[in-house]
Amino acid sequence: MSPRQRRVLELVLDNLVWFMLLAVLAIFSALIPNYFQPGIFANIVEQSSVLGVMSIGLALVVISGHIDLSVESVAALSAMVIGILFASSGIGLGLTLTPGWLVVPVSLLLGLLVGGAIGALNGFLVVKVKMNAFIVTLASFIWVRGLVVAVSGGRSAQNLADEVRWLAIQRVLGIPITAYIAILCFIGFSFMMATTRFGRHLLLIGGNQAAAFRAGIKVDKVLIIAFVLAGSVAALAGWLLAIRTSGATANLGAGMLFNAFAAVVIGGVSLKGGVGSLPGVYAGVLLLSSINTAINLMGLPAHYTQVIHGLLVLAAVLLDTFKQTIRKRLA
Amino acid sequence: MNEPLLVLDTITKNFGAVQALKGVSFSIARGEVIALLGDNGAGKSTLVKIISGELEATSGQMTFEGRDFGPRSPSEAKAAGIETVYQDLSLCTNVDVVANFFMGREITRSVMGLKILDEAAMEEQVAKAMANAGTRIPSLRTKVEHLSGGQRQAIELNRFVHWGGKLVLLDEPFAALGVEQTKRGLEMIRQVAARGIGVVIITHIMQQAFQVADRMVVIRQGVVAGDMPTNQTNADAVIGMITGEALAGAGPATGA
Repeated sequence: MSPRQRRVLELVLDNLVWFMLLAVLAIFSALIPNYFQPGIFANIVEQSSVLGVMSIGLALVVISGHIDLSVESVAALSAMVIGILFASSGIGLGLTLTPGWLVVPVSLLLGLLVGGAIGALNGFLVVKVKMNAFIVTLASFIWVRGLVVAVSGGRSAQNLADEVRWLAIQRVLGIPITAYIAILCFIGFSFMMATTRFGRHLLLIGGNQAAAFRAGIKVDKVLIIAFVLAGSVAALAGWLLAIRTSGATANLGAGMLFNAFAAVVIGGVSLKGGVGSLPGVYAGVLLLSSINTAINLMGLPAHYTQVIHGLLVLAAVLLDTFKQTIRKRLA
Repeated sequence: MNEPLLVLDTITKNFGAVQALKGVSFSIARGEVIALLGDNGAGKSTLVKIISGELEATSGQMTFEGRDFGPRSPSEAKAAGIETVYQDLSLCTNVDVVANFFMGREITRSVMGLKILDEAAMEEQVAKAMANAGTRIPSLRTKVEHLSGGQRQAIELNRFVHWGGKLVLLDEPFAALGVEQTKRGLEMIRQVAARGIGVVIITHIMQQAFQVADRMVVIRQGVVAGDMPTNQTNADAVIGMITGEALAGAGPATGA
C-alpha cells in the first residue's frame, strides 16, 4: 500500500463516525419524506446541545482512563438550583437582579460552582483516597439526584426570567443561541485536547498512567482537574437544560447518562482510556439526534429509539474492534 | 571523577515486615558508569526507584550535588536532573513517537497568550535525536502500539541520551534488544558518561557490565556486598559476591 493510500485510510478510520453521520443523513433524506429540509437539520443541532455538552465532560474523564456516572445528576442539581433561585412560579423564589441581564452570568456561575464542587469531591475520592471511580461516581449519581428531589420536594420550578430565556428563543440562522454555546464548547475543548499540555497529559495518563507518572507528569493534579471539568461541564449542560425548559423538575434529565455514554462510545472514545477525540463525540451526539428525529418523523413509537440506541452502541463497539484489526494490519 | 554526584548513606526500605534494603551505601561520581549487580530480589530495582522518586526510603540519607536529596515524586527527581529508564517499558502506546519522547516536557509556543504544543519543533528534535543514534522508525507520527519491542526500547534509550540531565538510571535497558542494538546501546552509555553524566545500570549480563562500567556495585540481600573498580576484579569474583560465596569490600551491613 502506498503511503498516500495509507494516509487516506487512516483518515477514514479516524473520522469514521463523521462518515457514518453523513451516510445516515443521506439515507434518511432519501427515504423519509420531509427529512431533507433546513428546519429538520436545525432541529437536530438544537436537540444535540444539552446532550452534547454533557458528553464532553464524560468524554474527558473516560479519555483519562476513568469514568464519571454522576454527570446526569449533576446537571439536574445545577438546573434545580438555578430553577429554585430564579424561576418565578412553582417552588421558584423568583429572585431578580438589577440590571435584569445579570441573571445570565450569575445563574451560570452558580451552576458551575455546584458542578465543580461535586466534581472536586469525586476527583478527591478517586485520586487521593484511591477509591474506584465507578463506585464513587455511582454514589454521586444517586445522592446528587436524591438531593435534587429533596430540595425540590419532588415539585418543579417554572418560568425563568426573559433575559435568560432569550438564549433559547433567539435564533441565528435558524438555530438557537444555546446550540451555539454547545458548539463553542466542543470547539474549545477539542482545541484544549489537541493542542495544550493539559490535553496531552490527559491522553498520556489514559494510555499508561504509570508511565506518565514516571515521566514526571503530575497525574493526581491532572486527574482532579479532569473530574472538576466534568462536573462543571455537566453543570453547564444543566444550565442549558434549565433555560430550554424554562425551569427544572425533580426528574429533569433522567436517563441522559446512557445517551451520553452511547454518544461517547459511538464517537470513538475507548472505555479503556487514552483513545478518542471530542469532534468524534459531537458527531456521535448528532448521529443519535438524527436517528431520534427520523423515528419521530416516521411516527414510530418512541420506545424504538431506545432499542436503536442500544444496537447502535453495540455496532460502535464492534466497529471499534474491527478498526483495531485493520490498524494492526496497516502497521 | 572525584567529586561525588550522588551519595547514598545507609538507605533502608521496608515493605511491611519485609526489609528489602537493609542499609545501602555507595557513591557515584560525575561521568562515572556504575553497574549495579545482584540476584533477583536483591533490591536493585527498589534502590533505583528510591533514587528516581517513585518510592521513598524508610531511613537513610541521600546527597545529590552536595545537597540533601529525597525526591517525593518522579517529577522532583527529574527536576533535579535524574533520568530513569525502567525495565518494564514506560511508554504510552496510544500516542505517537514524538509525544512519547516529550512526555511531561512538551514544548509549547505562545499563540495569542495561549500556550499551545509546538508539534513541528518537537518532531524536528526527535528526528535529529533518532538520526544521531542511528535508529530507524518508519514515521515519527506512528503510534507506539504499532512498533516492535526493539523499536520501543530504542525510543526509551534515545530519550535518556537526549535529555541526559546529571544522572541516568537504567534498569535492565537492553532486555528487548538484539545484539547490534545492544552494542549501540552500550556505546550510547559511554557517550553519555563522557558528557560528565553519572550512569547507574542494572544488568544481569556480566559481559555487559564489564564492557561498560567503571565500577561494580553488588547488592546482596539488601546490603552492598561488593564495591570495586572494574579493572580490579573479574567475572568469577563478582559472581561470587552475587551468590554470597565471597564477601570482598562489603559495605556497612546494619541489620543484616
